[in-house]
Amino acid sequence: MSQSKQPLLKLENVKKYYPIRGGVLRRIQGYVKAVENVSLDVFAGESIGIVGESGCGKSTLGRTILGLEEATGGAIFFRGEEISRLPERQRKKWKKEMQMVFQDPYASLNPRQRIGHALEEAFIIHTNMTKAEREERVLHLLQEVGLRPEHYDRYPHEFSGGQRQRIGIARAIALNPSLVICDEAVSALDVSVQAQIIKLLKDIQEKHELTYLFISHDLGVVRHFCNRVLVMYLGHTVELAPSRELYANPLHPYTKALLSAIPRPKPGAKRERIRLEGDLPNPANPPKGCPFHTRCPVATERCKQERPEWKEAAPGHFVACHEVK
Amino acid sequence: METGAAVNTGHAAAGLRRKKEKMYITTIKRLLKNKLAVVGLVIIAIQVLMAIFAPWLATHDPIKQNLSAAELPVFSDGHWLGTDNYGRDIWSRIVYGARISLVVGIVSVSLGLIGGVVLGLLAGYYRKLDGLIMRIVDLLFAFPGILLAMLIIAILGTGLINVAIAISIWSIPTCARIVRGSVLSVKNREYILAMKALGASNARIIIKHILPNCLAPIIVFATMRMATAILSAASLSYLGLGAQPPTPEWGAMIAAGQAFMWTSPHMTVVPGIAIMLVVFAFNVVGDGLRDALDPNMDINQ
Repeated sequence: MSQSKQPLLKLENVKKYYPIRGGVLRRIQGYVKAVENVSLDVFAGESIGIVGESGCGKSTLGRTILGLEEATGGAIFFRGEEISRLPERQRKKWKKEMQMVFQDPYASLNPRQRIGHALEEAFIIHTNMTKAEREERVLHLLQEVGLRPEHYDRYPHEFSGGQRQRIGIARAIALNPSLVICDEAVSALDVSVQAQIIKLLKDIQEKHELTYLFISHDLGVVRHFCNRVLVMYLGHTVELAPSRELYANPLHPYTKALLSAIPRPKPGAKRERIRLEGDLPNPANPPKGCPFHTRCPVATERCKQERPEWKEAAPGHFVACHEVK
Repeated sequence: METGAAVNTGHAAAGLRRKKEKMYITTIKRLLKNKLAVVGLVIIAIQVLMAIFAPWLATHDPIKQNLSAAELPVFSDGHWLGTDNYGRDIWSRIVYGARISLVVGIVSVSLGLIGGVVLGLLAGYYRKLDGLIMRIVDLLFAFPGILLAMLIIAILGTGLINVAIAISIWSIPTCARIVRGSVLSVKNREYILAMKALGASNARIIIKHILPNCLAPIIVFATMRMATAILSAASLSYLGLGAQPPTPEWGAMIAAGQAFMWTSPHMTVVPGIAIMLVVFAFNVVGDGLRDALDPNMDINQ
């Protein structure tokens, strides 16, 4: 990825805090810092994996980019234009460009709506197509994601999880977006179905020149799917590197621990499992210094005091850790 | 929507689309398995038929007095439910009363639903309106039902239309709460987020995506509320606040019959049974609907 090109999506110190209200007057007593200072350049055509354990802010980040959540701080640029502070009306044109595939295929489709109508909705909102034109497009979309025209009139409960996820993908690509955020798009599926859906996502990417932000906690899937991987911990970015580099040469102790947890198919193969002690700290009261120091096997006194900088340890390989020189 | 349109686009495959089975058909099938609900449906059907065909079913003019045939007991010649103290045929009065109680019930429940659904949707969807709307609802809740209705009638004056309005206002808070609750449970589902991501307007999300998914509790509420509304309308008429004589209203008939309880008990018992049957019917159908609409039974059947 050449760094001189303008990124498709640029995040600058994006923050998302949720207020905690309490007491009789419901005054703000603190904040849950779900996303803290995330900066990232996403270039057209690449697939970036965002990984981390539950509650690390990866889904919140995805929703903030889409505008489903208002960013608390920082700025989001799309094709060089800032979109994080636009009023709702002006955001609409960018909504065509960014879409999302949701995690739970059972919750992401309206149970009372035939799927043909659900897919048509994108065209009703953004175009002036006639009913016949919309139907034609929807039938085409269904075919594109591997479904059949007779599925048009069915309700979501008549589909399997994998088929529903195909519908979710069809809905996301209906308006020819340039960026698709896949929020744990395959996590709820069986392994065999996962493979099919991933293949579908790849085929669609080639055909439509899509850029993916692939949010997942499954490092095995991300490895095969993404060009670059961003590791998050407690709302912070801890490491960003090209996939090959990250999996071969992880620098941050958290990444190392995550990678050591991937199940290996070879029985008896020797591997060193790094076990993290303790629980994820409360994001309402994050630790001072490096957010990971409470569980880090190599933490020093300095880690408890000073927040590590985001630095480029090798070309294209960024990490936030004092111990990495 | 029309399947025909798809065929017109020239997709041969569109012809393969199978016949759609509407969701309400499954619900009705399930409702019919519930025997008590079927009994209720039959009673409601009878009331509806009586209401529609009242002029043909009634044997006499319901308000025509005939003092020479006053207080005839049940199964008298030509008056199988007897006559009242003015010699009016009770069967004819019951038949016309069915029309009145059904209309008052439908009008008051529909008005209450419109108000309650709108308030509930707004309160559930817009966080900023929630506090204000729910406090108003709480205020309405603070009055006992009949008292509130009496208060409204005191302001508007007596009469059946005012009774319907009073009962509808009293239905609003309960309905608003039920709708708000379902909106809250639906509005954070992923399909709503997906619609927001698509850029759908709030109005579109509320009407096309939230409301259809809140319909089940609304339908159950409306059915059960019919029973309450009919009972309340009869109560208010009994108290002299609703239908005025000589209107053949069931509650008013009971009130009129009270004085003749010892000599002609059928004057009170017959309209009493009519009210009881109808209230029972709407309640069991409401119960049956609640079970039939249970989404947990959706997939298995």
